[in-house]
Amino acid sequence: MRRRNPLPYLLILPSFLLAAAVIIWPVYDLVQIASNDVNRFGQLRGFNDFANFTALFADPNFLAAVGRTALWTVAVVAGAILVSVPVALILNSDFYGRDIARVIVMLPWAVSLTMTAIVWRWALNGESGMLNSGLRALGLIDTNIQWLASASTAFPMEIAIGILVTIPFTTTIFLGGLSSIPGDLYEAASLEGASGWQQFREITLPLLRPFLNIAIVLNTIYVFNSFPIIWVMTQGGPANSTDILVTHLYKLGFRIGQLGQASAVSLVMFALLLFFTIVYVRLAMREERAHQGA
Amino acid sequence: MKTIWQKIALAGVSLAALTAAASAGTVRVTVAEYSSKTGPYFAEAEKAFEAANPGIDIQFEVVPWDNLLQKLTTDIAGGSNADLSIIGTRWLVDFVQQGVAAPLDEYITPEFKGRFIDTFLTPSIMDGKTYGLPIAASARAMYYNKSLFEKAGVSEPPKTWAELTDTAKKISALGDGVYGFGLQGKEIETDVYFYYAMWSYGGEIVEADGTSGLDSQAAIDAAKLYKALIDEGATEPGVTSYNREDVQNLFKQGKIGMMMTAPFLSGQIKAEAPDLQYGVAPIPAGPNGDQGTYGVTDSIILFENSQNKAEAWKFLDFLFSTEWRVKFTVNEGFLPVQKEEAADPHFVNDADLKVFASLLPNARFAPVIAGWEEIAEKTSNALQSIYLGQGEVEATLKAAAAEANTVLGK
Amino acid sequence: MSKKLKRSIIAWLLLAPLVVLVFFPFAVMFITAIKPQTEVLSPHWWPHEPRWRNFIDMWAATNFGQALWNSVVVSTFATLGAIVISIPSAYAMSRFRFRGREAYRQFLLITQMLSPIVLVVGLFRVIASFGLIDNIGAVTFVYMAFNIAFTVWMLQSYFATVPKDLEEAAWIEGASRFQTLVKVFLPLVTPAIAVTAIFTFINAWNEFVIALTLLRRQESYTLPIQVFSLVAGRYTVEWHHVMAATFVATLPVAVLFAWLQRYLVRGLALGAVK
Repeated sequence: MRRRNPLPYLLILPSFLLAAAVIIWPVYDLVQIASNDVNRFGQLRGFNDFANFTALFADPNFLAAVGRTALWTVAVVAGAILVSVPVALILNSDFYGRDIARVIVMLPWAVSLTMTAIVWRWALNGESGMLNSGLRALGLIDTNIQWLASASTAFPMEIAIGILVTIPFTTTIFLGGLSSIPGDLYEAASLEGASGWQQFREITLPLLRPFLNIAIVLNTIYVFNSFPIIWVMTQGGPANSTDILVTHLYKLGFRIGQLGQASAVSLVMFALLLFFTIVYVRLAMREERAHQGA
Repeated sequence: MKTIWQKIALAGVSLAALTAAASAGTVRVTVAEYSSKTGPYFAEAEKAFEAANPGIDIQFEVVPWDNLLQKLTTDIAGGSNADLSIIGTRWLVDFVQQGVAAPLDEYITPEFKGRFIDTFLTPSIMDGKTYGLPIAASARAMYYNKSLFEKAGVSEPPKTWAELTDTAKKISALGDGVYGFGLQGKEIETDVYFYYAMWSYGGEIVEADGTSGLDSQAAIDAAKLYKALIDEGATEPGVTSYNREDVQNLFKQGKIGMMMTAPFLSGQIKAEAPDLQYGVAPIPAGPNGDQGTYGVTDSIILFENSQNKAEAWKFLDFLFSTEWRVKFTVNEGFLPVQKEEAADPHFVNDADLKVFASLLPNARFAPVIAGWEEIAEKTSNALQSIYLGQGEVEATLKAAAAEANTVLGK
Repeated sequence: MSKKLKRSIIAWLLLAPLVVLVFFPFAVMFITAIKPQTEVLSPHWWPHEPRWRNFIDMWAATNFGQALWNSVVVSTFATLGAIVISIPSAYAMSRFRFRGREAYRQFLLITQMLSPIVLVVGLFRVIASFGLIDNIGAVTFVYMAFNIAFTVWMLQSYFATVPKDLEEAAWIEGASRFQTLVKVFLPLVTPAIAVTAIFTFINAWNEFVIALTLLRRQESYTLPIQVFSLVAGRYTVEWHHVMAATFVATLPVAVLFAWLQRYLVRGLALGAVK
């Protein structure tokens, strides 16, 4: 029997304690609240047979929000990745003004999401918004578009803004990944006469894959839980038509005072994310192994 | 290992004890931030009070209004709420039912009670006990743009909703991004904007038998009226993207003919659009001459778990002296809640405020029911689908009434 | 050289739509910030006369300096703390094979999955029970703890891409593990640490929900809630001040980006080691 080396455990201990401290107690609290009858101030009134969960699944608004959250998450994450890969490739190549370009691409990140959303809401105002006034000046439209009046324009706009603010994070991850690919691989490929596209498919993409996986998993988690954009711009309205799970949860918990149901939503969201991540990580790892085998 | 944890726990306890000790004689007050003048006003009040009452330390927490309810919820859940807090009087029921708010009757002298205008104190009284003092009050009236009226050839503000429809169409016909009636279709008080018409048609939010009045004929007529205004282009386009501030902004820009809102718009117009020619008129009457305005108060309450009730009361007594009331009400553009305050020249000589004050006898307040916010939310949602044309008026209102009845327990 | 010029033109053309989209909100912010109050609501783009004084007025009216300082303190210490604590963990995970390594990785990921909005109720109770409400230190600690999972994750995936050859060479020369770590390994991964630090700093800089719940008095507000309190639920919003404040609040981060840019570029050199 080999004695186990305690060093790695000692090394991870501080981070474990910290991460656990802010998670475990609140989660315990959450489970308590979700499975109890609870008043609007979070004072428990006794176990209630999961009534909070049954109420939730009987609520058409909740079910609609689940579907919309899926759409929101997939659209924003996919959109951000589709834009970020080429952007990262460009920013990784050598051209004049690259440093400035990188700073510009990172800029949306410098503003808190809440403020970005407030500025966009201000700019998207139908009658006095600067977007309409800009589009009119360019002759692109002649009547004002009421961007936030209905979900058919508001939700796509929210998704677009979601993509825009997700790009900096995603691009940075990819840039980090691209920087770890040695240049001589491309040189060798060029000598063998591989086209740019072939180089991308055969060298860049496989080596970028772990970073792609990180980007997908982390972005999915963040976007799924992202609150400010939709809250500030439409508060999930009109008539709940842009509600996603977090905004629904916020209304339940802090508007209507159903803390029990709100906590139940939170746990359902947690379960959904957990399910997604497990499935994704499994698939991604299988694929990675398959690649290594090939 | 155990000892370490015990030490940590002890440290925590002693820390908590320390803060508790420090808080003897300290009165913490949570206040809503109504405007950029709110913070400085309370800072000034704090200084003046502490100078006059050495030994009592006042601490203010100025909270953005939109987050006030959330903050109070977490505070109370965590047991670290302040001693006093401003709340929307419509939330008071929940606070009283959960035993969070303390009755003030043992402190209130007849003289103190006599300072208030009854209309505004009544909503804070429940089961014969006073749980809050009205600190901010407003009512609603109709603002109209005189220049647009002139251009459209209308000389008088409309007295009935039929006249309003007519006038609104005439103003919208002027074109050039000008619209007759500013209709709010988003966020807080979307439902209230609808009640103006509903009350005029003789409807009630909660009927005598305790059920929702949303499926009454009055509600249906009012919704049809608003829908017709939207369809005929008499309102600004895309009403569901305009909250109260957005509609007010349109009014300040001179882009809409009429809108209902609170007295504070007058002050904003003076600062931001001083050239605007506007007037204030009562909310139009319905076919049977019914009229109604929305009265709303915010109350300051004392928490049941406060350790410094006597000191807190002392501060309330100070805050509700005429001098400090006048300062607050003028700053924020609210209505005076006290008799002596109302006699101040600031209010007596203000033509706009006179209109508001004259409407008070017809003022209705949010009904005193638990779950009021939920009903407001459901009503607003129903209205939004009607305004968007996604739901047929009667069916949508009936469904909303059924949901409201569930909340009401009927 | 002309080849690079051609490439540059193509690169900028491709980036152009994104650049426009990125600058649009900044343009809105900046132009609204310099408008006189009476013109703020008009949709025309350029004000009749730019009102630079707005920035000075805003600074005083919004208690900006204090909030800026609070944000700098909170973000800096949260970042430093998170990085210092994460490096050993990430090092352990990328350089040791030990039981529970994969499980720990997954635990870290799971901690990221809870929606902060409701977590905040439980968190608030814990902080309140220690009497640490309205304490900037407590907020710093919470930010640090919340970011740990992320920093460990990022660092260990960057660390894993660093080849072991150099460290092994150092061992052979008789250097201890600790010496190797400090002298060989850390210099190699500085870019990765810098990048991760940026992430953490920005998360802390922009964090909103926790600060809003845990901080009480204006004197302890961080920038996002200070700016937000100018907008949320007031009966009237001084948009020119709000926009000026937002604009100024982004400057420190923009400067940080520009400065740390070099590290990002040096990250490229990392690949050369392999």
